[in-house]
Amino acid sequence: MDVRIEKIGEKEKEQVLIQCRSVTEEVEEIAAFVKSRQGSLTGVLEGRRFEVAVSDICYIESVDGKTFLYTKEKVYETSSRLYELEEKLRTRHFLRISKSMLISLLKIQSIRPAMGGRFTALLYSGEQIIISRNYVKALKAALKGE
Amino acid sequence: MEFKKFLIEKLTLFFMLSTMITAAVYLIGSAYDRDALFGYDALLSPMRYAALCILPTFVTWSRRELSMRELLFRKALMLVLVEGVILYMAFTSPVIDTGRMQVVLTLMGSVLVIFLLVNLFLWLRDLAEAGRMNQDLENFRRLHDEESRE
Repeated sequence: MDVRIEKIGEKEKEQVLIQCRSVTEEVEEIAAFVKSRQGSLTGVLEGRRFEVAVSDICYIESVDGKTFLYTKEKVYETSSRLYELEEKLRTRHFLRISKSMLISLLKIQSIRPAMGGRFTALLYSGEQIIISRNYVKALKAALKGE
Repeated sequence: MEFKKFLIEKLTLFFMLSTMITAAVYLIGSAYDRDALFGYDALLSPMRYAALCILPTFVTWSRRELSMRELLFRKALMLVLVEGVILYMAFTSPVIDTGRMQVVLTLMGSVLVIFLLVNLFLWLRDLAEAGRMNQDLENFRRLHDEESRE
């Protein structure tokens, strides 16, 4: 696949155009990546595709090989893997808090101690998420901006 | 959890237990055997008891992170084992009057109280840690809001 970058005038609308013979998984991944760079992720809900704004996502969880995006009210399935999203959303204040979960630091209302060195993150949505003890150090560093 | 980290935690626990066992021996001794006299060897007994009580805590070790239910089960198992260790030491000790049921029950109660106190202290330590994280979270949000406005 050739990659071509064209400079356009100030008044023209910027766009990324993918020309392909068929919409393969690879093409969808590229499209999803471009969208995520603009602040949204593609999610599927009840068989329909949606662009989910990153700012709406509270946390992302991987369950049985599937990845889900949790907003305040809805849960979308996404084709992206958790490690891919972790990489993509690193600059958007998402952080891994357990083997199977990423959380938006901006959605955490408060943190409370749980048992065995773990902590519980209370989200603005009212949900409570367990922060694994192995990721507490990384969370502390992220909150300090390190 | 890394085994090295686990061992460091156990070392901290050892010192906590030594202190609490010393206090428990003082209280139980004052209640049941106020006039007893001991040699210097007695100073080592809290450390000896603490070291032996650490052994059952190894049942809580796991390479992977335990679920809340697994952790609770292992902690309960640990408590039972610690009670067993203490009772074994009491019944084999010539100094402790295990013929008196009251003494045995007090010993078992002391183990339970120390177990609860250790867990309370660990929880309070985590509570303080959570307080610091909440402060950092507040600063983080404030910085993010300022950046968003710019």
